[in-house]
This record gives sequence, structure tokens and C-alpha cells, in this order.
Amino acid sequence: MSAIIDRPRFGCPLGGALGMIRALPRTVPIVHASTGCAYNIYVGMNSGAGYLGGGYCGATSTPSSNVVEKEIVFGGEERLREQIATTLEVMDGDLYVVLSGCMVEMIGDDAQSVTDNFKNAPNPVIYVSTPGFKGNSAYGYDVVLEALAKEYVSPRKRKKADKVNVFGLIPGGDVFYKGNLREIKRLLNLIGLEANTLIGEGETLADVKNSGDAALNVVLSDVYAPLAAAAYENIHNIPSLRTPLPIGYLQTERFLRLIGGHLGIEKEIIDKALKSEQNVYFDYFERISDSYNDIDFQRYGLVVADANYAPAITEFIADELGWLPHLTVVTDELTERQQELLNKRFNNYASGVKTHIRYDSNTASVRRHLSGSWERNCNHRYYDSFSPAVVFGSVFERELAEELQAPLLTVSFPITNRVVFNRGYAGTSGGLAFAEDTFGLLVAGR
Amino acid sequence: MAEKKLRQIAIYGKGGIGKSTTTQNLAAGLSEFGNNIMIVGCDPKADSTRLLLCGLAQKTVLDTLRESGDNIGLELIMKQGFNKVRCVESGGPEPGVGCAGRGIITSIGLLERLGAYTEDLDYVFYDVLGDVVCGGFAMPIREGKAKEIYIVASGEMMSLYAANNISKGVQKYAAKGGVRLGGIICNSRNVDRESELLKAFAKELGTQLVHFLPRDNIVQHAEIRRKTVIEYKSDSGQANEYRALAKEVAENDYFTIPTPMTADRLEEILMEFGLMDSLKDDYRI
Repeated sequence: MSAIIDRPRFGCPLGGALGMIRALPRTVPIVHASTGCAYNIYVGMNSGAGYLGGGYCGATSTPSSNVVEKEIVFGGEERLREQIATTLEVMDGDLYVVLSGCMVEMIGDDAQSVTDNFKNAPNPVIYVSTPGFKGNSAYGYDVVLEALAKEYVSPRKRKKADKVNVFGLIPGGDVFYKGNLREIKRLLNLIGLEANTLIGEGETLADVKNSGDAALNVVLSDVYAPLAAAAYENIHNIPSLRTPLPIGYLQTERFLRLIGGHLGIEKEIIDKALKSEQNVYFDYFERISDSYNDIDFQRYGLVVADANYAPAITEFIADELGWLPHLTVVTDELTERQQELLNKRFNNYASGVKTHIRYDSNTASVRRHLSGSWERNCNHRYYDSFSPAVVFGSVFERELAEELQAPLLTVSFPITNRVVFNRGYAGTSGGLAFAEDTFGLLVAGR
Repeated sequence: MAEKKLRQIAIYGKGGIGKSTTTQNLAAGLSEFGNNIMIVGCDPKADSTRLLLCGLAQKTVLDTLRESGDNIGLELIMKQGFNKVRCVESGGPEPGVGCAGRGIITSIGLLERLGAYTEDLDYVFYDVLGDVVCGGFAMPIREGKAKEIYIVASGEMMSLYAANNISKGVQKYAAKGGVRLGGIICNSRNVDRESELLKAFAKELGTQLVHFLPRDNIVQHAEIRRKTVIEYKSDSGQANEYRALAKEVAENDYFTIPTPMTADRLEEILMEFGLMDSLKDDYRI
């Protein structure tokens, strides 16, 4: 029997690719796909990513070949050629990226050779194949970054020993990617590293172009961006170090020690950086500690998030908030090997707490996983209900949270109930923001 | 009086086996019995109706659609050929681009919208290219279209291999709709023991050998003159063979869901019917 797909938390490869291009300054996408693909993706991504907007050349401005039946039958290459030519004429960009949709890939349009005809254009035009049947939005993000590494990044033989590139956060898919990258950059600066986050605040296409001289790529994910990491390794000879997205002080300390250790940064420098972070971080935490005890801020936790956020949030609420994470649903479609890798992130908590881990992209499954892992009320005299609890998830968890009478903090895509600018949950600043938002929910009715 | 029933028939078979020639001669034969017939060529090469139209270059449905849109009259894309057989060519994209399968779907859809399927029709033939390579080429046998399929084959191995493969497609569509295999038409290539082989093959496939068309160069002579054999030499033996085929098809009531065989079983049958043994080779054609 075929399975149902119920409100997954990711989009198609074209969506992931458009999200990445939206994050690249002065980059113009040229979508070779059916009428409606580009706009539908924009509608989903804009509101789902905390009102991200269309960016430099997105939303209703997205150039698209808008193929219809005629192009499907006779081939859409001529239409694409026309679209690229007119886009180059009308849209002012520093980089143009041709992206393909499902239908044109199915009929075998040779978009690569059409794009190659524009090799002599004043600004580069590159082609990235992003049909829906190749994966999801994580793949789309990855394959765009891979193409940039292959075709756009300048080769540099000499590497800067103290420079690292940072990627692995999917723009849009990670609603807080910009705030997160800012914080990661700040933290890495603290231990003397120059961090190039490629799509962070104030960064331009020049940063992408000049990313070939980094000594290391820090991939902030256990699973995302394998193709991009491999392209940087093979073409630019830049090795990758994968680390989980750190949220809060404990994870940040591990993060900095891992990167610092890998690059041979003196322990004293890292200790000093961590000390100053501690001073700031725990000063804020100290504020809440009395209230935490007096009015009991301890809760059960239900975490529903992607492969980057799920382990980080679960550990944060267990080991820094002192909560009881009962169930964590990882909403990406992952291979068994990737799942095994992620499982390790849920082990060895300082608090000794264990959570139930499930891998499921369907929204309705969350309720099933919860009822399957929590003892039912069979008129027990002293029934221990899943309460009080807080749900960390997407807006898709709203109904479930209401049923559980638990507040919901939206942390993973889609997030339509918040406007997100530069807020981030990564690092120590992000940990504070996360704690602030979480405790804020608990006192919201006061 | 019994209500007149339109029979929609799809002809499949390996590329180059003689589907178009057979279909046109079959249609010519049926037209002699007073039937109203339409042939829909479902091949991007658009060469399915050449013999009936005396080589008249015909605008294909898709060319017309591309140039003039779908607000057109039927007369632009449908021509009458020998014995008033109505001829339509679906056409398709240039080789190597676009989606010919989708083209077939688009084109049949347009024919329906333009009212090509009139009530006076007795037969509609779909002459479909080579193999059923994708869903588009199965369009003629989808729900509401052709209910009967004939596969043109010869005693050559690759032709039987293709016929078996096509049967797999038919079996799939038969399971969800009313399409059935009417039989195998042998277009002889003078292979040894060809008739017996085809009979055995058809039996294994759960169907019948509808007719054995002997090889005769008159077919080539007629083709050069852009005519069906029935038009070119009406009194020839081959013309009578096509008439006999027409009669078999008209009277056929044996329709089955095919039982395609494995490649091993197919090869066993081929071995059994003389691809080996000590038969003296005869390479004459």
C-alpha cells in the first residue's frame, strides 16, 4: 500500500534552490518550469519562513520560462534561451542561476547546453538541475551551493589558516538562518577566526567568490549540504568539519572547542572567549532562576523539528533548562545511516535525561508518536498526564499544542505566526533568545 | 436494428515491422466492405497515412496546433484518402526534443474536442510507433479509446521480443480497463517455419494468429507508387490477403488479456521452432 504524505516540513528542490538564491545578494534566478512553480514556492516560503519576502529578484519578479503544453510537446529549450536572453537584458544582476522544474527535466530539455550558450555574457550564468524527483528543499539548497563551488568560487592555492567558511543552514528552511549565522560568525571571531558565512548579514557575492581560500569548511549540520562539502573538498581542497548547530552555552562550548581544536587554536584563547561568554550568558540566566523555582518553570518538552534543530533544542531544554524532553520528532526524510548519526546526538546528556526519538515527516504522526510513548489514562487514580508541557515545533503543531493545553514556540519551518528578522537561536546569544522566548510563553498570561 | 458500434483499434509492433502498411491496407480492405474509417497516425514521423493519401503532404495535428493554436477547424488536420478513409497524423516534436508521448495525448485530446469521432464511423485505427515507450504512447488504449489491439510481428526474434513487451503494457491496461488483445498479425519475413512459430507464440501469449500475410514485393511496388496494394493492384493475390485480414478483423470475437512470457520462455519457443537444428540457411528475402 502506498503511504500518505501529510504536511511535510520541507519543499521541493526548486524551493530549496530559490531560497538559497534569495539569500545571495544581487543574484537573479531564472526558473525553467511550469507556470506557477516559482510563485507557489514563493507563497509557501515567504509566509512559512517568518515572512521572508521575495528578496532582490524573487516573488512576482522571478524570471520564469512558464512552460505550457506547447513547450512540453515540442521541447522548451527555445523558450529557455529566450528567457535567459531577456532576463540578462532586463534584470540587473551579478550572477544568474538557471533552475529547472520537474516537467522540463522529464521531457529532457538540455538546459545545460542552452545555459552554456551564455558563457560570454557579462556576468556568469550557471545552470542547476532541480527537479522535484531528485529530493527535497535540502537537496535544492545543497545543489546550488555545490554549483557555486564548482563554477563560481575562484580557485585559490594558498589558504588562510585562520579563515573558515560556514554553511549547512538552509535559508528559509531554517527560518532563523541569518541571525544564526551572525552569531556563529561572532563566536568564531572570538577565537581568532575569520568566518565567512557566505550569505550572512553584510556579506556579498564577493564573499562567495572568495571562499576558496578558507582553511576549513564548518558545516553546521549532521546531514545537510553533502554535495557542497564534497565539491569544496574536491575542487578547492578545503576539508569539511561537520558539527551540530549549537544552541546555548554547553553546546557552544563544545562547538568552539571542536573547531579550535581542529585548527590548533591555543586553549587559552578558547578558554578566555568562553569565560567572557559565560559571564554574559549566565548573568541573564541568573535573573530567571528565582522565578523558575518560585513559580515552577519546569515543563515536559515535545520537540518537532528538522535534523539541525531537533537535537539542539532537545539537549538545550534537558541540560540547560532542566526540563524533561519526552518526545522528539525529527521531520526530515533521512537514511538509516543519517538516523544513526543523529541518534548519537541524543545520548550522554549531562542531566542523564533520555527522550523518545522518532523520524517522521508527516504532521499527523506526531500525535500518534506521543500517544504511543506516553501511558494512556485508563482511569488511574493517580494518572500522570503529559502536563505541564511546552511544544517546540512549527505552526503545524498548533492544534496538537492546543489539545495538550501547552504553549507552542515555533522554531521550525513553517513559521507563519511570527515575523522573523535577525532573531537567531544559535550560540549563546541564541540560547538566551530561546530561553527568553520560552519563558516568555510561560508568563504570557500573567 | 442493432445500434452501430464504433470499433477503435490500436496497432502496435516493433519499428519497421510494417504496421503502417498493414494498417492502411487493412483499412482499405474494410472500406471496400462499406465501412467508415478513420486512421490516426500516432508517430512523430507522420508517415502512417501516406499510402491512403497518395503521398499528399498532410499538416499534422501538432504542427497545426503549434502554428495556429487550437481554435481550428477539423478540415485543416483531417484529409480523406482512398475510399473516403479519413486520415489524421498526430505528428510530434523534432527528434531528440520535447515529449512525443505528451504530443499524442494532446493531439487525441484535440481530435476529440474538434468532434473527429463522428457517429457514422465504424472503425478508428491508431497506428502507434515502435514500442510503447512511455505513457503517452499508451494513450490510444486508455479508458474510452481503443478496446482492441493487434500486434504486427514476424518470425524474427526482435519483433517477437517487442510483441511480448507490448503485451506487458496491454496486460497492465487490461487490468484496469476494457482493452483486450485481438491477436497477432504476421507480416512475413520468410523466416523458417514462421507460421508455426507465430501460432505457437500467439498461443503462449493467450491469443491467436489473426492472419498470416505472406511476403510479396508487390507491397513495395505499391508503396513506391504511394498506394495501398488494394488500390494499386486490386486483383492481386496480396490484395486478397489484405481483404482476408480485413474479414478476420471484422469477424473477430476472440479478445483476451495477454499472458506475456519471460525472456527465457520466449527464447525456448524460438529454439523450438528452428532457429537452431540442422536446417539449411536460406538468406534470400
